[in-house]
Amino acid sequence: MVSLRLARIGSVLLHFGLAFAPVAAVHALVPPDANFSVEAVRDGDALNLRWTIAPGTYLYRDSLSARLEGRDAAIEVPPGETKEDPTFGLVQVFHGAAEARLAHAPPTGILEVAYQGCADRGVCFPPERRSVDLVTLVVGEARIALPELAGDNNPPAAAEAASIATAGGDAAIDAPSVAAAAADGDPITAVLGGNPLVAVGTFFGFGLLLSLTPCIFPMIPILAAVLAGSPAPPSAGRGFLLSSAYVVAMAAAYGAVGFAAGWSGQNLQAALQTPWALGGAAAVFVLLAIAMFGALDLSVPARFAARLTGGSRGGSLAGAAVLGFGSALIVGPCVTPPLAAAMLHAVQTGDAATGAATLFALGLGMGLPLVAVGTFGARVLPKSGRWLGQVRPAFGAIFLMIALLLVTRLLPPSQGLALWGAFAIGLGAFLGGFDRLAATSGWSPRLGKAAGLVAALYGAMLIIGAAGGASDALRPLAFLTAPPLALARSEPVEVVDTPAAFDDAFAGVAGDRPVMVKFSADWCTVCKSNEAVLADAAIRERVAAMPAVVVDITDYDDETRALLSRFSVAGPPTLFLLDAAGREIPGSRLVGPITVADVEARLGRAGL
Amino acid sequence: MQRRHFLGLIAATAVLAPIGAPAFAQQVDVEAILRDPAAPTAGNPKGDVTIVAYLDYNCPFCKQSAPDLKRAVEEDGGVRLVFKDWPILTEASFYGAQLALAAKHQGKYEVVHDALMSIPGRGISKPQMLEAVTASGVDMTRLQADLDAHADDISALLRRNLAQAEALGLQGTPTYLIGPFRTSTLDYDGFKAALAEARRRQAEAK
Repeated sequence: MVSLRLARIGSVLLHFGLAFAPVAAVHALVPPDANFSVEAVRDGDALNLRWTIAPGTYLYRDSLSARLEGRDAAIEVPPGETKEDPTFGLVQVFHGAAEARLAHAPPTGILEVAYQGCADRGVCFPPERRSVDLVTLVVGEARIALPELAGDNNPPAAAEAASIATAGGDAAIDAPSVAAAAADGDPITAVLGGNPLVAVGTFFGFGLLLSLTPCIFPMIPILAAVLAGSPAPPSAGRGFLLSSAYVVAMAAAYGAVGFAAGWSGQNLQAALQTPWALGGAAAVFVLLAIAMFGALDLSVPARFAARLTGGSRGGSLAGAAVLGFGSALIVGPCVTPPLAAAMLHAVQTGDAATGAATLFALGLGMGLPLVAVGTFGARVLPKSGRWLGQVRPAFGAIFLMIALLLVTRLLPPSQGLALWGAFAIGLGAFLGGFDRLAATSGWSPRLGKAAGLVAALYGAMLIIGAAGGASDALRPLAFLTAPPLALARSEPVEVVDTPAAFDDAFAGVAGDRPVMVKFSADWCTVCKSNEAVLADAAIRERVAAMPAVVVDITDYDDETRALLSRFSVAGPPTLFLLDAAGREIPGSRLVGPITVADVEARLGRAGL
Repeated sequence: MQRRHFLGLIAATAVLAPIGAPAFAQQVDVEAILRDPAAPTAGNPKGDVTIVAYLDYNCPFCKQSAPDLKRAVEEDGGVRLVFKDWPILTEASFYGAQLALAAKHQGKYEVVHDALMSIPGRGISKPQMLEAVTASGVDMTRLQADLDAHADDISALLRRNLAQAEALGLQGTPTYLIGPFRTSTLDYDGFKAALAEARRRQAEAK
């Protein structure tokens, strides 16, 4: 009779994760501290907790509990007043005030205090939970949750033969707890501070959402190459194993980054965007591309060959894992918002475990469709060989493209554009754009020639555009016609990359208006599309009227790192407003790709 | 060739796949409160006054007022009663709500509801609730089957109830919406007075 429906749990978690975004609008059930408030005072090694209870209400003595670092903490509570509880009999409650004592309170950490009470007029309030920072003794984060009550003896459902399973519904009931915390302004941070299981589940959902975006595209050909690395197509099971190895390695890479971030407090992702890392990765991909084209025979000593290529079974787990690990780190900047939040939390709380777990879940979510492709695709594969010869050059082209993507992050936009132009012309030539057609040629060579000509023409336009100073791949010849899109700004824009320069710039532009601070980098393509959004007609003037300071972190060194940590920025693109005193206006921060609506909301909130 | 096409298809699907997250409107939707098709009802379906009861199975005041509510509704004859299971106090409340809503599929919601509300006091554990439900004479095999089959719907209904309660700004359990009024625990006379006043206002408004 007992059955845990994991699929149901998964689907509820997924629904919860998917539904999470709009839930930020939900308010807390009770305004914080309306009836009960708690404060903490140190007494030597011990900690005294004191509740203030509004008149007409009372707290149940058995509901007062505390947890320290996820484990129950024993608190001494004096006996309360005996009260005749409706329908129950005698219970112990507190009116007016209540006290409890934690005998040994460590100097740092977070103590979670829970309590629940009712009002004499006949209503019972949901349990409340507060976090006490043991360093500052500040009480915060009012959340409404369902704590394990001290008196609630709950044997696990599995032990009872006759008990009925809860069908995975527990995840759903946490919705108000997370939603209430979202009143902070940043829903993602609220999730992270909540129940770790919920945080992991939500990040899994985020990952699945991200897998639907173009973020995942670079991984598909890599995975396909892993699967294609054999003369015979892998079976569905083998395909599943390989793609799972790839995805798990990718998730592990993210998890490792999260762990390292929590451990070291630094932004590893940005470090991996340095020229050395990018150049090295690009070189690897160029080598792989050349190998695909057949010009280079990458052979490994026979000893290792069998292990790496997995013998005749097709593909190798180790190879898949290595590629998965590597591609996660390279494709990283695409996942900035949840990554930023997770890493910020890991850095600020030093909670490497949660950071690692949530990022691992994010990677798993992102990779899940890849596993489906690997498994399902493996079954669809044709029986044998001729297609491999046709497919390998295509993979070579894709690897070259990836290498270009990496290298163009290091170069100024025009030069990058020129490289893309060259690539497009080369692609055109290989597709058959310059081949001679005969009158008897079939549709395939003709199609190839058409595609090749288009690619070559586009490549030529890119090169001309690069020569003309354009940087937008979609409008390379725009410089010929329209005047530059940049408005004559009524306010100056300062570009800085050191803390001293930032302070100077800020002092220079600060006035009675908020200052917009943008974190950007040459290699950040989303930053460029964000600039286009900021130039949208609906908000263009308001944005132009605001002084702006742009922090350029293309060179990742101590100075830029100092700026990143000063404002708790995980990576570009990040945008926020500072008031005249240099404090960030709460709720004004935007991370990742922005929309006009986002900016309008922030501007409205700042009063512009 | 086939593999290339397949990969292309995957890429195209990924681009075209709608990413929309469901939008839960958080404003107060009166129709959803009064006429949620999944919420159990009692009393007179054509009653001229509606009582919407937000209750928790571990709430001592709910249990105190439950018999009075039942009696008031039965004696009045013109009240439509809507039950909104609002399990906010304990995890066991949530468990009890699931049991009761699953029992609705065999027409035994009120039986289970009354059984759970008769367990005196607060801090009732899941096994205790299960015991009470078993003793109430409900078909347990059918209950498990309905619980499994309709788990998603039950979760959705509970989430709706939670959302409505928060949109309305309800403070705690019990909360009774009697016509235009919002109140917490009432006794039998209180219910009768509230119903009378609600009817008086309806008559005035006409």
